[in-house]
Amino acid sequence: MSKEVSRRDFLKISSGTAAVIGTSCSIPGTLGALGNKAIQGSDKFIRSYCEMCSSRCQIEGRVVDGKNVFIQGNKYVKSMGGSVCARGASGHSQLYDPQRIVSPLIRTGKRGEGKWREASWEEALDLVANKLGKIKEEFGAKSVLFSAKTGEHHGHMLTFANAFGSPNIFSHTSSCPVSYKIAFPHTTGSGMKRDFSKSKYILNFGHNLFEGISVSSTKKLAKTAASEKSKLVVLDPRFSIVASKADEWHPVKPGTDLAFVLSLIHVWLRDEKYDKKFVAESTIGIEELKASVSDATPEWQEKITGIKASVAENVADELYKAAPKCIIDWGHKTTTGFGEYQRTRAIIIANALMGNIEREGGIFFAKKAKTVNKLAGMNIAPDITNPDKHIKGSKTPRIDGAGEVGENIFVSRKHGVLMDIPEAVLAKKPYAIKGLFMIRHNPLITVADTEKMRKAMHEMDFIVSSDVYMSESAEMADVILPEATYLERDEGISNKSSKAPAYMIRNKIVEPINGTKWSGEIFRTLAKKLGIDSEYKWTTVNEFRTAQAKGNFELLKTLSVKGYASFGIPPVLAREPKYVQAFVDKYPGAADKVNAEGVFGLSKLKTPSGKIELFSQKVEDAFPGHGVPSTKHSTEVAHPGYPYILTSGKTAIHTNGHTQNVPYLNMLMSDNPLWVNPVTAKKEGIKHGDLIYLENETAKEKATVFVTEAIRPDTLFAYMGFGRTSSKLERTAGVGTSLSKLLPLVKGPVCSTMITNVGVKIVKV
Amino acid sequence: MSKKYRMIHDENLCIGCQACSVACRSENNISDDVFRLQVRMETKGTFPDLKMNFRRQSCVMCEDAPCVTVCPTGSSFQTLDGIVHVDENTCVSCKYCVVACPYDARYMDPIIKAIDKCDFCSENRLAKGQLPACVSICPTDALVFGDMNDKDSEVYVKSNTHYTLFPKAHLGTKPKLAFVPNKKGVNYE
Repeated sequence: MSKEVSRRDFLKISSGTAAVIGTSCSIPGTLGALGNKAIQGSDKFIRSYCEMCSSRCQIEGRVVDGKNVFIQGNKYVKSMGGSVCARGASGHSQLYDPQRIVSPLIRTGKRGEGKWREASWEEALDLVANKLGKIKEEFGAKSVLFSAKTGEHHGHMLTFANAFGSPNIFSHTSSCPVSYKIAFPHTTGSGMKRDFSKSKYILNFGHNLFEGISVSSTKKLAKTAASEKSKLVVLDPRFSIVASKADEWHPVKPGTDLAFVLSLIHVWLRDEKYDKKFVAESTIGIEELKASVSDATPEWQEKITGIKASVAENVADELYKAAPKCIIDWGHKTTTGFGEYQRTRAIIIANALMGNIEREGGIFFAKKAKTVNKLAGMNIAPDITNPDKHIKGSKTPRIDGAGEVGENIFVSRKHGVLMDIPEAVLAKKPYAIKGLFMIRHNPLITVADTEKMRKAMHEMDFIVSSDVYMSESAEMADVILPEATYLERDEGISNKSSKAPAYMIRNKIVEPINGTKWSGEIFRTLAKKLGIDSEYKWTTVNEFRTAQAKGNFELLKTLSVKGYASFGIPPVLAREPKYVQAFVDKYPGAADKVNAEGVFGLSKLKTPSGKIELFSQKVEDAFPGHGVPSTKHSTEVAHPGYPYILTSGKTAIHTNGHTQNVPYLNMLMSDNPLWVNPVTAKKEGIKHGDLIYLENETAKEKATVFVTEAIRPDTLFAYMGFGRTSSKLERTAGVGTSLSKLLPLVKGPVCSTMITNVGVKIVKV
Repeated sequence: MSKKYRMIHDENLCIGCQACSVACRSENNISDDVFRLQVRMETKGTFPDLKMNFRRQSCVMCEDAPCVTVCPTGSSFQTLDGIVHVDENTCVSCKYCVVACPYDARYMDPIIKAIDKCDFCSENRLAKGQLPACVSICPTDALVFGDMNDKDSEVYVKSNTHYTLFPKAHLGTKPKLAFVPNKKGVNYE
């Protein structure tokens, strides 16, 4: 090439879409097929929040030279400080990926065959409305399933499904965070947060914030971990990044963390080393707990976890000494065996015994506007509302029985149990399912027993997928409605409260390419076409936002400029005197809520007793024997009895089943080889780079061997989200291992979580 | 007074997430499948006595730069502020510099067919008073950059409060990139 074209000049004309179109030109509906599109957007920073994963970090982005979007952390958010992760910085690589779907598509071949024709939005939405209307008329609204990744689109889907009349609404939750989403309400009434930056001692059960990044939490944990004044102890079967930053790493046997936590509780109760005053005042069930852990000795746990009894004694002692500036971290989705619910319950209980609730360096409840306004005795933070809350859900029984008496009683009817879908559909029990509407959801990669889910999809009459890519699940659809990426969307207000109230909003950084649409518009339009929109109080996103903000234009203005709004309110930790004092100094109206000890104390919790429930009668009634964590609870994984336990986890480069085809990220990680300890490799006669099969009763799946010391010899590991089959994901199709394929449709008790630790054997090719 | 730039990579804060690498790609329009910057992670030891090191792989901006000395056309050159650049218009892609670089920091750009490497975002950010993209974006603040002649700068303070080393210091190339060595994990050396 001529040197007269400078590198920078060349890239100016080539970046974005034109230079990298390649073979994608022929795929209808893709950005590549459209040719070079100019980028329209501001060259000044617009503040918004990310959606490359679900951490939703606050970002700012601007269009550079009309060709590129530079993304960094929102400078108005102190805890972000301009930072984003690799995925966040890759937002425009997804936006301008020639393999992205940007035109509505209608299936022309057999289901899943991959033959499509482009359609106008009008035609596609009319078709969806007509089909859904017909199914409703013939089989009832309940025969259409709706599923989404959590986020704002889940909210709009929920409203639409409610208006449509189907009770069968699902989200990603049962395949991921459901354990703590249920264990917290059972124990403390509502979810809690971790004060990583001020903690002196953190016990981590695989909460891998250094690979499953949430920037502000990751930053805090990284600094605390690097500090010589604090200690980080990590239990993880593999030497993850967070394990590598620990002061102590204990390679626990997968799924058995419950036994370790129970032994800590045993030691504290045995030695009477816990916050007795707090436990007496703020909890119920200590006697039941004492009885349930009486045999949970450090020696007992050693046989289960493989961690020496002396370690449990030592960690218990050090935590007690560090308390209340200590965190026993429940994580996100970790330790995914049958013991997951009780493990999470036990961890929350362990925190309560250390008396670290609402203390600096401990754990705390989010302080939303209502909470601080009540404390201050005046309005110091604006409240927001859900404009769709009056559009109530159908009372019809669901196919999974979520929220109804039975094994899924504690599961939210807004989120459901994904693992129950395939069998219900195939057996037509309790009733036939005819339609499926998925938005930003790819269950054929992220949910257990993908082949059975595929069979269930073949049973359906009509499937809609709204996605950015031709995902495996989108490939099964009749109609694909291309969703605008988060950089192209104006959306509603989200609560971001921590120790003080805060909100964030998604502001459009570039104009939607080829008229792709956001979920609110898609569902709102469909509701209108179906004639079920009489209860909607908004039409445009601005009307939606205004209704959320209850007409508070000052809040809307701040959010539009800064993408984020906080209100100068001092952070509140209700049991920490200096925090309480600072709050009272600023808002004297709070003085009458301060007790004799100079703190607000815990207000009445949302548990049946109003206190922290070490023993839960509600859980005991629904699941006899489960009211309090005990040594009787299983720590097995799915398909026990195989020689190895296959585990999975997050990487900082990819998200679930979503980003593997994004060019920038695919360049950094294009495969997920299987971690195998050298001892195991020798025993199995396999070596680095070998192609093998992993096999169990559910499936047989190929894997490439990666020999590493960083894993237990009885454990195997791979990052999730690979093993893609959609041919339209040209960079990633056919590469790597699908872990979900090997998971059976079993669920953890009480919370119905998907179990992702699974027994397998290694079979040589 | 001329600038005396230094960048410090704190291995204890770095989590190897590659945000720096992507920010660099985005800011500098790096061609596909080549990198000016990556963090390379290496696990050392035998299970369960392990350690993971995090090494920044990029140009270390030598004061005595072998790439400049060997360049037959003068397209590898150093400015007064000590930053080493490549003039892609005069580079004849002979790759002498690629071979001479002890840090393996240079590569052939597959599109322009000239040699490329990190330049601390000199033109596009430093000149505007901004930090290099990798420094500004790092989720854990593992990178610090600034002028060592400024005693109030973060980089000066960090240099004087942390134990820092220079990569392959024994070669005497005097890099401007320093690192705080990893303290965590089992000491295998």
